[in-house]
Amino acid sequence: MTIIYLGILAAVLALVLWALVTSKKPSFQATAAMVIVPLLLRLLLIK
Amino acid sequence: MKKHHITAIIFLALAGAAAIVSGASFLAMRKPDIIVPGPGVSEVVMLSNWYPQLKGTPGDTEVYILGKGNPGASMLVLGGTHPNEPSGHMAAILLIENAVMTSGTLYVIPRANASGFTHNDPQEGAPQSFTIQTPNGPRVFRYGSRATNPVHQWPDPNVYIHASSGQSLSGSETRNRNRGYPGRENGTLTERVCYGIVQLIKKEKVTITVDLHEASPEYPVINAIVAHPKAMGLASETVLGLEMQNITIGLEPSPVNLRGLSHRELGDFTDTLPVLMETANASQGRLRGRTDEALVLTGKDKWYVKAQKLGRLYVPYDENGHPLEERTGRHLAGITELAFSWTLENPDSALEFTGVPAYAELQEKGLGAFLRPLP
Repeated sequence: MTIIYLGILAAVLALVLWALVTSKKPSFQATAAMVIVPLLLRLLLIK
Repeated sequence: MKKHHITAIIFLALAGAAAIVSGASFLAMRKPDIIVPGPGVSEVVMLSNWYPQLKGTPGDTEVYILGKGNPGASMLVLGGTHPNEPSGHMAAILLIENAVMTSGTLYVIPRANASGFTHNDPQEGAPQSFTIQTPNGPRVFRYGSRATNPVHQWPDPNVYIHASSGQSLSGSETRNRNRGYPGRENGTLTERVCYGIVQLIKKEKVTITVDLHEASPEYPVINAIVAHPKAMGLASETVLGLEMQNITIGLEPSPVNLRGLSHRELGDFTDTLPVLMETANASQGRLRGRTDEALVLTGKDKWYVKAQKLGRLYVPYDENGHPLEERTGRHLAGITELAFSWTLENPDSALEFTGVPAYAELQEKGLGAFLRPLP
């Protein structure tokens, strides 16, 4: 169960990263950057 | 390099920095508080000593044994069942650092939900720790979550079904240590910790078990002892003794239909006499204002004063709040009185200790006066 969850989480994180890098709108990039923080902490099983 | 790539790198760096800073802060919560064993501590062992399957898990926790091998009765004190209820945790620590047994044995588990101390409840704005000044410098203690860390026990079911009764509760209650008794050998981490505590009680033939809690000032069961029917006589004598010291306290029977709680299941499934004690903690209440260390330590909150004036509370509340000294003192006075009442009725199986700060002494000198210097 946890492995599947972490796999989904990693996929979402990758998509958000991709969106951040490819977007040309700074406000969208800033939003993506904020979304990355909790995803990263969860993926690393910190929070 | 295009402009949006440069901004992407900047935002990524900011996100990385935020993750590092917040991650370090969250990871720091996993470091347990330092507890300095006092002269009365005979031995410190882990709960896995009684239930080896807990060994190496985030649920394994220290059990401090005072007066090991002494003739007489025994008492188990559970602090930190809910790590956002600090007076129970502090009362357990003061016992460990000060009590000396003259008869009987005392088992103290200060972090009954060790996993709960490693995180905070989301969206509560609670502090991660609070500091108590002592003559030998500051001592820092963790302010945790009511429940087991979801990193350690996941996912929550939609509905939590208590194993031995079939009672249904909200899914998040599956991580509530005080809804998991008597526990299950192969259950969730929370249930396994409960099972470990039950094994300790059974194997050591613990006479009295005291589970220390706090409640929101708007919650009806507060400044009270909740007792299993077989502990009601002992609890009644204790309440009388406390009232004679001008410590107002209520006595509540353990509800038959509210399952998984220590005061119900430990009485039903073991031979111990279980009681649970509650004090008034504004920092976990729903009506509170700013939530910070000061609120944890003093209990001063203007919104609770207003709620009191509107008749919404179950405890008196004024501008003086309910400081941690008072709440911890109530627990220690209750434990002392329980032991006294037991010994009065059972002189051949006494349970006696010295060194525990009295209620008035704690108000006068503060908690810091009874905390030992760090090694």
